[in-house]
Amino acid sequence: MDFLVPLLGDYTFRTVALGAALLGIVSGVLGSFAVLRQQSLLGDGISHAALPGVVTAFLLTGSKNTEILLLGALISGLAAAYLMITIVRHSRIKFDSALALVMSVFFGLGLALLTWAQKTPNANQAGLKRFIYGQASTLLERDIVMMAACGAVLLLLVALLWKEFKIFSFDPDFAQSIGFDTTKLNLLLSFLIVVAIIIGLQTVGVVLMSAMLIAPGVAARQWSNQLWLMVMLSAVFGALSGVLGAVISSAIPSMPTGPVIVVCISVIATISLLFAPGRGILHKIYRQLKARSLLQVEGRDIS
Amino acid sequence: MNCEDYAVEVCDLTVAYDVKPVLWDIHLAIPKGKLVAIVGPNGAGKTTLIKAMLGLVKPVSGAIFFGCNTPKMIDKKKIGYVPQSGSVDWDFPATVLDVVMMGRYGHLGWFKRPGHKDRDMAMEMLHKVGMHQYAARQISQLSGGQQQRVFLARALVQQADLYFMDEPFKGVDAQTEKSIVWLMSELKNQGKTMVVVHHDLRTVPDYFDWVTLINTRIVANGPVGEVFHEKNLCKAYGGQGLLLKGAAV
Amino acid sequence: MYNLKRKIPTFVAVGLVLIFVLASTLTGCSPAPANTSGKLNVVATTTMIADLSSVIGGDLIEVRGLMGPGIDPHLYQASAGDVTKMQNADVVVYNGLHLEGKMSEVFESLKGQGKTVICLEDGLERARLLEDEDNNQLFDPHIWFDVSLWKDAAKHVTKGFCQADPKNEAVYKENLQAYLLKLEQLDTYIKSRVAELPKNQRVLVTAHDAFRYFGNAYAFEVKGLQGISTDAEAGTADVSNLASFIAQNQIRAIFIESSVPPKNIQALQAAVSAKGFEVQIGGELYSDSLGDASSGHNTYILTFKANIDTIINALRLGAGT
Repeated sequence: MDFLVPLLGDYTFRTVALGAALLGIVSGVLGSFAVLRQQSLLGDGISHAALPGVVTAFLLTGSKNTEILLLGALISGLAAAYLMITIVRHSRIKFDSALALVMSVFFGLGLALLTWAQKTPNANQAGLKRFIYGQASTLLERDIVMMAACGAVLLLLVALLWKEFKIFSFDPDFAQSIGFDTTKLNLLLSFLIVVAIIIGLQTVGVVLMSAMLIAPGVAARQWSNQLWLMVMLSAVFGALSGVLGAVISSAIPSMPTGPVIVVCISVIATISLLFAPGRGILHKIYRQLKARSLLQVEGRDIS
Repeated sequence: MNCEDYAVEVCDLTVAYDVKPVLWDIHLAIPKGKLVAIVGPNGAGKTTLIKAMLGLVKPVSGAIFFGCNTPKMIDKKKIGYVPQSGSVDWDFPATVLDVVMMGRYGHLGWFKRPGHKDRDMAMEMLHKVGMHQYAARQISQLSGGQQQRVFLARALVQQADLYFMDEPFKGVDAQTEKSIVWLMSELKNQGKTMVVVHHDLRTVPDYFDWVTLINTRIVANGPVGEVFHEKNLCKAYGGQGLLLKGAAV
Repeated sequence: MYNLKRKIPTFVAVGLVLIFVLASTLTGCSPAPANTSGKLNVVATTTMIADLSSVIGGDLIEVRGLMGPGIDPHLYQASAGDVTKMQNADVVVYNGLHLEGKMSEVFESLKGQGKTVICLEDGLERARLLEDEDNNQLFDPHIWFDVSLWKDAAKHVTKGFCQADPKNEAVYKENLQAYLLKLEQLDTYIKSRVAELPKNQRVLVTAHDAFRYFGNAYAFEVKGLQGISTDAEAGTADVSNLASFIAQNQIRAIFIESSVPPKNIQALQAAVSAKGFEVQIGGELYSDSLGDASSGHNTYILTFKANIDTIINALRLGAGT
């Protein structure tokens, strides 16, 4: 415990912890809706689909400036999301098939571009792959500012459109019937999720981002039966795992921050799945055993 | 009769998934204030028909009119919809009251939050369907009949003039069935129109005063007394019509 | 109109497949090298090795490098075109010691086919290699930063060329001797520049542990952020500890590497600043590759000179960005 005080005074720790907490909050909130809409793997699909955008942005501008690469990732991610939604709307292909199709093509294209970029004679272009896999410990202050600004806008939109997203997630047909344009809502929600993913790319990277989107929501569902509570808890769990990840990575050398954050949220999710009262697996087993023993007792009394 | 007297008119409607038509050349006019049953065999397109009227599926061709208005011109929140209870994941984190209040969202429009008035109205409708003591109950803990009643309350809260219901009597207990029938007749007394996809032929003459027989095409459409007879049932159901009609002559 | 709209998902699917096919051909496409000149066809992995090979071979060989300037060899994955090049080559030269971390299988299969494959690792004495700090089964592969080791590598490459092309043995050996002299001059130059710094200033901080051989050969203390391979991710503690070290020892400058994103060093600089000391970014060093033609530093000797000048100038005056 006594290492915590100097830790709080440490610039790197504060920066990383803040960035990770912001990521946790934003992905927790938006991920809850993805989970409720049975689109959990959207995070995985979009973060992989961001790769060609990142490489293209580099190839076009020659710069490895964070903002530019993230912009490329954003465009690529939005295009992929739009493509997935359009495929589902205009064909019989189901959501997971559309997601798998779009994700693999985009990611494959991105890898091909990356291999091709290796060949371009520019003595300053390595490290794109590093960008995709995340490097939380090298977050800069201006990254944090950008994450905070974008995150604030996202959360504001969720708050403003709370009831719209609620009814859309629960019963889109009914929402459409009373006059809400569900196509627009679908696109908007998906785009917000894409932005949340892009914000988190630098911290945990492509492969792990889907965990940050799903796990807090899944964990929070176990402890709450109201949407607003679930979303709040999801944000809390996300932020908690972000900060914990930063703490552990600061205390132990050579511990990569991103993966540790994901391990933390996975532990939280596992505990929630097992131990939550009501929905938890262990609680269900306990209730079954209790019911069984009660029945046995009554059986004896009757006979 | 002119267009004002009709609650909903369907002109030349065709709906198809891929090449297979589910609804073919539907012409239909339903007068205001009627209790309408839509009946037909499985796969006849009954649910698709009301979904097309609600604008939830896109037709290949055809047009829908409400009174004399196109769908774009009317107030969507004035059309009530009670879907099948199986169309939704009941494991959603919400209470009964939450779901019923969703019926008020149309009236609130974008961004606004529901207030006391909406809440009171929701509780009143819960009373009407006999679910007011379950207001704080998790929707995942409801029985099939209770789910149906919650959806009904949600539609009632809209204070609509036209209601579409998709098999509201399917899988409900006798008590719930009686409540729904009572509610429907009350609404009719208030001059509302109800278009109901119904699965039980035996109860059609008892509950409804207008019937639409459909099997991808319209077989018949008119008052129950005129239209609900063996010849039409045969046309709609093939040979099974007589069996299904049962005791009613 | 309806029919066309219905076909949209089909168009989309076909379109996506076409993009994918196009992308795969982009990577596979490279003109097959036609060896019409009668020269020895040599394929080298890194720019350093390509440079070394062309010095030893001169006009008698045609050298093709797989990696361009600024490419990170730790992360480099051979494309189908690269494999074709190596299969068409007479001689393949690579570093070994897991520098080309993702290519070891390719080299094994080439050896199995009976090609002349020269691995620099084989020409160096085990005892003079530095062990990987984290994993003592492995060795640090950045051997070219010790000029004396590079001399041994040059000798080894010469031996390989002689075996593959015995009729030109005399020329290769002559080129080798000339080059060894030049390398000797480089070594002297480096040592004289290092002497300009007082002992306590001889600390080099970079993005990854590429310079340990340099530190070992020229009495410099060397610290990297990421460890031996750029494949590793630096933890928060690593950044913080290194920042403390820099602030405490008042090291004037830290350095960016050409093949690693500059962000890592910028973050380190920010961390040091938060600890109350302003460290400069002393400039860009060539770590895992040589410079490109436009910078003028496209040979081993020129690159090493550029590196040592950057290092000493920055540490001596604290100049730089």
